[in-house]
Amino acid sequence: MKVYDGQGETESEIKSEQIKVGIAEYDVTKNGAVLTTSGLGSCIGVALYDDTAPVSGLVHVMLPSADDMEDGNSAKFADTGVETLIEELEATGGDRENMVAKIAGGSDMLDFSESGSGIGQRNVEQVKETLEAYDIPIVGEDVGGNHGRSIKLKSSTGDLVVKSANKESTVL
Amino acid sequence: MKVDIQSLETFNQLAREGAEQATTSMTQMTGIEADVEVTKLSLVDRQDVGEELGDREFVGVQFDYEGELAGETVLVFSRDCRTSLIEALVGGADSKAMARSGVKEIGNIMMSGFIDGWADYLGASIDHSPPSYIEGNGAAVLPDAPAGGDTNHVFVFKSRIEWVDESIEFYIYMLPEYEPLTTVMADHADTGDDAIPVDKLEVFNEMTRSGTEKAAENVTMMTGIETVAEVSQISFAPITDVPKQISNETYVGTVIEFTGVPSGYLMVLFDEVSAKNVAEAMMPVDMGDDELTDQHKSAIEELGNIMTSGFVDGWANVLQTSVDHTPPRLVHDMGQAIIDPLAAQVGRHQEHAFIIDSTMRTDDIEFEAEIHALPNEQELRQALDDLLVERAGKTDADPEQIFQE
Repeated sequence: MKVYDGQGETESEIKSEQIKVGIAEYDVTKNGAVLTTSGLGSCIGVALYDDTAPVSGLVHVMLPSADDMEDGNSAKFADTGVETLIEELEATGGDRENMVAKIAGGSDMLDFSESGSGIGQRNVEQVKETLEAYDIPIVGEDVGGNHGRSIKLKSSTGDLVVKSANKESTVL
Repeated sequence: MKVDIQSLETFNQLAREGAEQATTSMTQMTGIEADVEVTKLSLVDRQDVGEELGDREFVGVQFDYEGELAGETVLVFSRDCRTSLIEALVGGADSKAMARSGVKEIGNIMMSGFIDGWADYLGASIDHSPPSYIEGNGAAVLPDAPAGGDTNHVFVFKSRIEWVDESIEFYIYMLPEYEPLTTVMADHADTGDDAIPVDKLEVFNEMTRSGTEKAAENVTMMTGIETVAEVSQISFAPITDVPKQISNETYVGTVIEFTGVPSGYLMVLFDEVSAKNVAEAMMPVDMGDDELTDQHKSAIEELGNIMTSGFVDGWANVLQTSVDHTPPRLVHDMGQAIIDPLAAQVGRHQEHAFIIDSTMRTDDIEFEAEIHALPNEQELRQALDDLLVERAGKTDADPEQIFQE
């Protein structure tokens, strides 16, 4: 786990640090860094923000649930990914009581399944369920549809910028 | 000789850890934050090693090593990357000699950790030479891939490392000699149910090349543009690295799901410029439009369909089974977002995946197409098991038949 606390950086560095969050990865920051993740199809980016600390974090989850999978990477799944991010934010000084969430992704593009709902939709449902279990409100979302997204969490403001191919960016 | 999924996973993981260690060393020396983007183990035709380097200029270091594993390891930076690295390290290079020694120093520190990691895991010593400075354009910067007896294929471990803030990347290649590597991998395999005969993996690669050649012929027939199959490789990577196989530029193309043994997904993707160029070659009139119109897209859909048929027929002929597939779906989106739902689908049952990649190009216009297949791992293994090696040459799809569909 990486925590960027700003130590060791020069005062003159004004441009916000960018931290790339890969698939099935998460990261947290308390120095106003910009957390980015790209190429969300059915995957979801979950951004959590506690402005009283302030701390922010972003996780890029791929599949709905860790159940029945022998896989040690908690950040790969919607349920354990969100849980892990909450815990890491608390370890960095946040409090779940003050956290709010913004989510993007969960597209149903290229869903070949003939019955039932696709992975994108199930990812959305699972993320919402887990956040609800922790009583964390979703204050912004851009989910579903049939297009991909890339997102940027500006942790100094809590703004989540969502970019889609062939479309203007929106800010959640 | 058989290797199993576990040993492929382990070796890929070793390469990844080595690359991460090398990257950490560099960050400590220079203060530049970088991330290992992707590590994969590919089986490639010797002549295709390093295709992804394009025609750009590279500098770097090379080590030879021998022992349990023998071969070469190379770390290459693009030239721009070198300038920034050396500035970070010594505050600017006044002379060529200084730049060279800077590259050597960084390379040395990065790569020692990489090789030591392997030796530790194998519990054997691997001796490596001092670093030597290399420079060159594209694949020419790499050492010749080691010849391995009667095979044209080599296993290559490739890591792509990107700087966080800038779009600068560098690559680590490990090119082990074929025999020692497969011996070590076989030693570390427990050859249970999931064992894979290495020689059949090669056949599969050749089969993919034939499929791509068929698809390229179909492009030529449809558009009148002479198109050639460029690279084909089969790679193995963690499922979470699969979407990174494609850049996040916007692509246009088609995706199908195929069923049978193996089942999986097949993508035919064009970057937007290529899509526009090739679509216009199929149209009777000049569009004179910069935007990608619906007409362009329907031409791409048709072309994707024909390319898919050619490719799948190439496979089916070798496997002697029918490979059924869904009608193609047209996609126009960020590359990674296109492949991400497919990786997720496959990732429900497996942690790692085989990815079959090929590209085709033409000299006439700016045009490049990528074909990526993502088969179910278990079924691929079964298909390989059932595969008679001598059928590899028999991939003659009948074009007439394709056009009748």
